[in-house]
Amino acid sequence: MSERGLAGRLRAQLASWEGFLLLVVVLLVALNAVATPYFLTVQNQINLFQLSIEKIIVALVMTFVIINGEIDLSVASVMGLAACAFGWLFQQGMPAGLAVAVVLGIGILCGAFNAFFVVAVGLPSLVVTLATLIAFRGMARILVEDRGIGGFPDWFNRLGQQPLVGPFPMALLVFAVLAAVAFFVLQRTAFGRRVYFIGLSREVAAFSGVDVGRVKAAVFVASGLVAALAGLLYAARVGSVRGDVALGFELDIITIVLLGGVSIFGGVGTVTGTLLSILIVLNLRNGMALANITGHIQTGVLGVLLILSVMVPTIRGWAARLFGGGEAVR
Amino acid sequence: MFDRIPAQTLRLLILLAVFAGVVLFFAAVIDGYLNARLFNRISTSVAIIALIATGQAFVVLTRNIDLSVGSVVGCVAYFVGGLLALWPGMPPLAVALLAVLIGAGFGAVNGFLVARFGLPSIIVTLATLAIFRSILVQSSDGASITTDSLPAWVPGFAQANAFTLGELQLRWMVVVTLVVVLAAHLFLTRLRAGRRFFAIGSNPDAARFAGIDAARTVFLAFVISGALAGLAGFMFLSRFGNITVVAGLGFELKSVGAVVVGGVNIFGGSGNVIGVLVGAALIDLIDTSLVRWELVSEFWREAVLGLLILAAVVADALLSRRLMARRRRAAAGAAAAAPAIGEGRT
Amino acid sequence: MAEPVLEMRGVSKSFGATDALKDVSLSLMAGEIHALVGENGAGKSTLIKAMTGIHRPSAGTILMDGREVAFRDSGAAQQAGVAAIYQEPMVFPDLSVAENIFISHRDRPQLIDWGRMNEEAAEIIARLGVRLDPRRAASELTLAEQQTVEIARAISLKVRVLIMDEPSASLSDHEVRRLFGIARALRDAGVAVLYISHRLEEIFALSDRVTVMRDGRHISTRPTAETTQAGLIAEMVGRDMAGRFARMPGQAREEVMLRVAGLGRAGAFADISFEVRAGEIVCLSGLVGARRTDVALALFGIAPADAGRIELAGQAVRIASPKDAMRLGIAYVSEDRRRLGLALGESIAANITLPALPRYTGALGRIDRLRELADAEGFARRLNIRAPGVTVPAGTLSGGNQQKVMLAKWLNMAPKVLIVDEPTRGIDIGAKAEVHALMRALAGQGVAILVISSDLPEVLSLADRVLVMREGRLAGEFPGETATDEAVMRLAVGAV
Repeated sequence: MSERGLAGRLRAQLASWEGFLLLVVVLLVALNAVATPYFLTVQNQINLFQLSIEKIIVALVMTFVIINGEIDLSVASVMGLAACAFGWLFQQGMPAGLAVAVVLGIGILCGAFNAFFVVAVGLPSLVVTLATLIAFRGMARILVEDRGIGGFPDWFNRLGQQPLVGPFPMALLVFAVLAAVAFFVLQRTAFGRRVYFIGLSREVAAFSGVDVGRVKAAVFVASGLVAALAGLLYAARVGSVRGDVALGFELDIITIVLLGGVSIFGGVGTVTGTLLSILIVLNLRNGMALANITGHIQTGVLGVLLILSVMVPTIRGWAARLFGGGEAVR
Repeated sequence: MFDRIPAQTLRLLILLAVFAGVVLFFAAVIDGYLNARLFNRISTSVAIIALIATGQAFVVLTRNIDLSVGSVVGCVAYFVGGLLALWPGMPPLAVALLAVLIGAGFGAVNGFLVARFGLPSIIVTLATLAIFRSILVQSSDGASITTDSLPAWVPGFAQANAFTLGELQLRWMVVVTLVVVLAAHLFLTRLRAGRRFFAIGSNPDAARFAGIDAARTVFLAFVISGALAGLAGFMFLSRFGNITVVAGLGFELKSVGAVVVGGVNIFGGSGNVIGVLVGAALIDLIDTSLVRWELVSEFWREAVLGLLILAAVVADALLSRRLMARRRRAAAGAAAAAPAIGEGRT
Repeated sequence: MAEPVLEMRGVSKSFGATDALKDVSLSLMAGEIHALVGENGAGKSTLIKAMTGIHRPSAGTILMDGREVAFRDSGAAQQAGVAAIYQEPMVFPDLSVAENIFISHRDRPQLIDWGRMNEEAAEIIARLGVRLDPRRAASELTLAEQQTVEIARAISLKVRVLIMDEPSASLSDHEVRRLFGIARALRDAGVAVLYISHRLEEIFALSDRVTVMRDGRHISTRPTAETTQAGLIAEMVGRDMAGRFARMPGQAREEVMLRVAGLGRAGAFADISFEVRAGEIVCLSGLVGARRTDVALALFGIAPADAGRIELAGQAVRIASPKDAMRLGIAYVSEDRRRLGLALGESIAANITLPALPRYTGALGRIDRLRELADAEGFARRLNIRAPGVTVPAGTLSGGNQQKVMLAKWLNMAPKVLIVDEPTRGIDIGAKAEVHALMRALAGQGVAILVISSDLPEVLSLADRVLVMREGRLAGEFPGETATDEAVMRLAVGAV
């Protein structure tokens, strides 16, 4: 009986969490639109996305990592390493096109490095990626030291800065495509199904013939690859790279994902939730910027939201007790 | 032969050997490396990180993590600096105490959220990392504390020597940290209250059976972590004088690194703060020395640090797995013997 | 005789609709070793939990020294002098032996005097007639040594009632003898020892009185010297034949589907040989700890065997992973539904299709949701799974229906060999009959079925052949028609 209650509540809450997020999105958009007449113009929306485009791209793949029951703290460092490696290779005279390919390869290697220690050695991903967070960032600094590298070819910068199709710049298109791919893979394919099962229970997955190690490794490698891609997009958007590219982004990225209803314990959450959370964060940041609230404080507000989001069950308990809704508490 | 030495001692010995090896290595590749200035410099910067790491160790022992310590250091340094600018006449001891109390207050927020509501500490402290930092930014309005606005004794404290032996200087800061680490060590190893931290991290279920109040102990761990980060914030202020809104950024990772390298199990239950002190010193030694090694640039610091942490964790995992395997072999031997009895009986 | 230390009067405990304990009365005297025996599921564990404050009885009273007590939790029971040790010791692996002993002492000084503590620990350990360095970390100890630490902890708390729940299950002969020595020493010191074991010869070697439980009820208590093994066994299994399921005729075919020869895994089981024919249901019987599940895990590739051979339809095969086993058509329905069987947060349909997922995927790995749902609904109908729909989480179902989902999950891959571990544990009688009928039907289709069950009536009504395992080895075999409760139990407990 209690099982029914528990799982039923869980499900109802999940369903309502996404509904709640949607409500928040609508509310924020409305507030922003009232505050600024041109908020809803296409150009403004594009600018809004462009400002955080690298983070939200990585948030898509982070959704996989956390649902899989793991965490990847090293993504921002991989982004930094990718950007710096691109700058360095370019400076060494490698054609930019080839450098892009090599950098994506580096991203895969970074992911595989994490995967090796998590899957093959069996260390907790929290520790492994904490170490590689520092190590990958360090490699970026070795490559560019304290210089800034720029002067990339025009086509490269244009891809980052100019509209590519209609009013949309490439990064936004990449995001759109990746969002569609992430949704498809996680919610519709056998691979996505296995990611969920492993996050819910490794043992059940293993006892059902799922190759747990291989799925986990694939997710980490994808994380490295997408992070490297995001790093390249950053380099193209800004037009130059430095050792501190994307420094500290991992916190924002993880916050977005968790706010979207993905459980830190794995197995629960959806790409839709992450997308809604992205909209909330972008709109909130926009609104706060309008209200002259600076970046660090915006992050603080997101921190409060993050705590509130994990406290939802507790808060519901309080509310139920307050209003005497005995059934919901139990 | 190593089987006879307790695992904890073995870890510490290995760590010290690595430390000595690193010193010897740099002495061999850097001219005029072993001198008093090196000691003076490293000991002062270790004083700060070792304090934070000691607090972190309490938290990690209980199977939690405190990612907010860097923000606490920054906040405390800034607030204490600001208060000193307002009331320069505050007595030094009161200032230090204030720093500890403010830090403990931040820690209590973390502890309350984790222990009272059972929220995962990684999420809570990830959020408070951002929240505390934003409190700092909000209240500073972007302005910095400068050395000029502080009473002279504040920067003076960082320079003050407790003892000198020729060129070797032992700063008061270092003495304070050593005293704190020693006190923490004695608390954790000599008092029943200290052993609770190990018990909870070692086997939470058994701790409950033994009537240990887990929530209170975890709360206390976060308060201690905050308090020591607060004290470190005061030292940070004293050492650098100029405090901007990014003060203390990155200490969370360094402190976790020192704790892990120092041999504290990231899953709680085992470790000791002397090891953490050595871990912090090792990290700082490598950090400082790479700057002076001509063969590689100073920019290798982070890469080496990251790989060092990874190596420490891998080594630790292999070591404890070896112990587990030994135990399992013994257990398997017992089980394998069982069928033989059964036959004897029929 | 003197006043009992601990007395239970008419204690009952029910969980929902099931009664785990029904009106049980039992007295434990100071200075006696009191054995408690009964089949798996007879209510022994619930009884212990009621004594140690983990469960609150639904009815009845517990008295200590004639005064009624109600323990808030196990800590309170410990303070009152009632402690229990289990098969899996509750120790702090990172703490030393001495610390493990004294951790719950509230009256000791804050400042730890390690020297004195080690001395006192050594003293207590010595009293048990054991040699153990109090400074060693508990993680370095063997299971038996950890148990000793737990007993020492109980003694240090001035224990008056010590419950030992299957303490010998994973100990060697030598360690068991030492344990007996400890139990006798405690008895001589005036402690009431409640000793639970499946091994009847231990009961006779050790205990002063013995209590038999069956189906949650107290059956008898009498001096051990006045009982015989046969008498105890009869009381343990003796149930009215009316409650039994009717036997169904066997459908075994000629073809041997699964044959294992000399199968073994170090530290678990050895020299296991048997065969299962197509359409045959073979039951692997035995007591908890007989290592039956380990044999299943070897056949399914979770913990592969390291000796012997496995043949499938006459072909020698190697099984190193569940994937290998599944490819060969071997399915394993685990006994641990919550931990190993179903992901309770996922939908019924997703759970059912997980092992056979490749069959449902089209281009780009896309799952054919319609076909998936149709198949899941088909199983829901065929197995009579009562659920609002196949898209609800598996965790919302009752235990019996979850069990059926688990069966559906493995039937969906059309296995040639189906291994079912405790097919009906904890499910109601109606669902049980359905599951049995389903397995009969599967056998009729030619599936070779290996059932691991601790439920003797189930074994006797279902099995074409019964294999009995004891302590990692095959102890014997019966044809299904001639197997009896007592014969199987006698082999399982190793009675002479």
